[in-house]
Amino acid sequence: MPEIRLDGLKKAYGHVTVIEDLNLQMEDSEFTVLVGPSGCGKSTTLRMIAGLETVSGGAILIDGKDVSQLEPKDRDLAMVFQDYALYPHMNVARNMSFALRLARYPKAEIDDRVKKVAAMLDLSPYLDRKPGELSGGQRQRVAMGRALVRDASTFLFDEPLSNLDAKLRGQMRAELALMRQRIRKNMIYVTHDQIEAMTLGDRIVVMRQGKIMQAGSPEDLYGQPQNMFVAGFIGSPPMNFLPVEVGDENGRITLVGSDLQLALSNAVAARLANHKSRSIILGVRPSHFIRDDAGSIDLQIALSEYIGAQSVLTSELCGRPVHVEVSALKPVRAGEQLRFSLNPDTIHLFDPETEAAL
Amino acid sequence: MSVGLDKRPNPAFYALLVALILMSAGPIAVMIITSLKLNVDIMSETAGLLFVPTVQNYETALCNMLWYEPAHVDYCDPTFGRALVNSLIIAIVSTAITLVIGCMAAYALVRFRFLGRDAMSMTTLLMRMVPPAVLLVPVFGIWTFQFGIDGTRSGIILVYVAMNLPFVIWILQSFIVQVPIQLEEAARMDGAGPLQTFFLVVLPVIKPGLAAAAIFTFRIAWNEFLLANALSDRSSRTVPVTIVNSLTEYDIDWGVIMATGTLLAIPPIIFTFIASRQIITGMTAGAVKG
Repeated sequence: MPEIRLDGLKKAYGHVTVIEDLNLQMEDSEFTVLVGPSGCGKSTTLRMIAGLETVSGGAILIDGKDVSQLEPKDRDLAMVFQDYALYPHMNVARNMSFALRLARYPKAEIDDRVKKVAAMLDLSPYLDRKPGELSGGQRQRVAMGRALVRDASTFLFDEPLSNLDAKLRGQMRAELALMRQRIRKNMIYVTHDQIEAMTLGDRIVVMRQGKIMQAGSPEDLYGQPQNMFVAGFIGSPPMNFLPVEVGDENGRITLVGSDLQLALSNAVAARLANHKSRSIILGVRPSHFIRDDAGSIDLQIALSEYIGAQSVLTSELCGRPVHVEVSALKPVRAGEQLRFSLNPDTIHLFDPETEAAL
Repeated sequence: MSVGLDKRPNPAFYALLVALILMSAGPIAVMIITSLKLNVDIMSETAGLLFVPTVQNYETALCNMLWYEPAHVDYCDPTFGRALVNSLIIAIVSTAITLVIGCMAAYALVRFRFLGRDAMSMTTLLMRMVPPAVLLVPVFGIWTFQFGIDGTRSGIILVYVAMNLPFVIWILQSFIVQVPIQLEEAARMDGAGPLQTFFLVVLPVIKPGLAAAAIFTFRIAWNEFLLANALSDRSSRTVPVTIVNSLTEYDIDWGVIMATGTLLAIPPIIFTFIASRQIITGMTAGAVKG
């Protein structure tokens, strides 16, 4: 299984540069997820790796060999498309075996492989059906089967679940994760859904406007976001950003907001040595607010959304709307006044100008 | 049922329907009935719907193609049999060539980006706007004096292909535009070259368009008279030309002419029937998320 490296990859349409100087290395049999908002260049990157888009600059190296000028069929990749792209005039078996038939595999081997993959994807009863006679989830499985049958070295997924309804998406996500455990191959997966990214990826690459904002394991991205964009993108509900000043109270570094005062631990305070009496951005995950009657943060609840095990409360702090996630065991009604505290070790700090983590 | 829907249509509506049916089906009925009559019956003053049907006219028209010699035929004229073969060859071959060139041209016009693409696309349709009668003299001149292919079947096939190609390209363009580009990308990922993508994925998907274009082309080639009349000679005449030529000032054998006309109508009916079975809607159902 190969190692894929993007080396200064560039894509421009006329004068519009979509991707500039993208560098990324995907290790052997790693599940890499490219994630980002619409138009961040993640699909374009995937399509360049696939060979469906030309490369404007830089190189795509598979096992050290530059493939950026090769035809898709010469790159040993299989791809699952966002909207299935099944051949409507062929039945499921023929859809799945199309690539093998083109490559002139012996008939017995084709049948064998198709049967195996169909059994794995629960498609055996539908092999004779045309795509038009299948449900959305079945079509999606056929699209995956078509890629799996090929036994290519790398699998590319272009938002494969985005056309499914919420329930089916969850189910297919779990199936993908299971499939992932059985098939140890390079997989590159594009999605705009951060939950998909978190649950599936060994490594997540967050992109924005054609640039990589951060690449790392799901835990890294959630625990140590390198900038405000990643911090706000990963996690649901998103992180709260509050404008605060760095103050000094009796020799102890303290964050001061309009209705907030937070003494920092020494470890965190050390990071702020150069930012004394300057404004910075405090990032707090909604789940990191601790309900504490003795706490110093006093919140007037404007909205309480019950979502099962948790309730998401909306309030205002330091002049900004904040979301707070609390256990739904104790029901909270809008209009209530609640007290919270924060563990200084769970907070994130950002420079307001560069948006980089401090 | 609601009261509003209970309103009966005006009787004049039915009268109009009957008139329209008579206008369209009447001549066909007359043709078929006349083809089954002897000339005596056709010409007699008391002619009507009461007569003894006979296939004599058909035997006369097809005399050189029958396995037996009809007793009533003194001299077997092979003209019609020959014309029928000519018509079939010319219509089928010109339809096939038009479709092959047309689908490739349409694909190129839809999918490839090149200088003058839109102009070329428009020009193909402009060609179609020129009436065949205008082309008659120049085509005759070029075919006769430059190419030397007057009086041959290939000459007529060539002019039919040229005449039908623009419209076929336009019909197929509208079908190819509807083929999702992801299908072609999927085929490329599956290892198909450009030609394999075209023949194994695009063509099967636009089969209804091909069928519609085939019906259109076949019928025009089958019915065309003006150019065929100018370009054909004795051995390459098509059926429409033959029928008109059999109207001479010495003898008009109505029975045989009507039998020929009836026979002329059969191949396009069969062809249309076969081709129209391919025209089913929803060909791309399930290909991509709608």
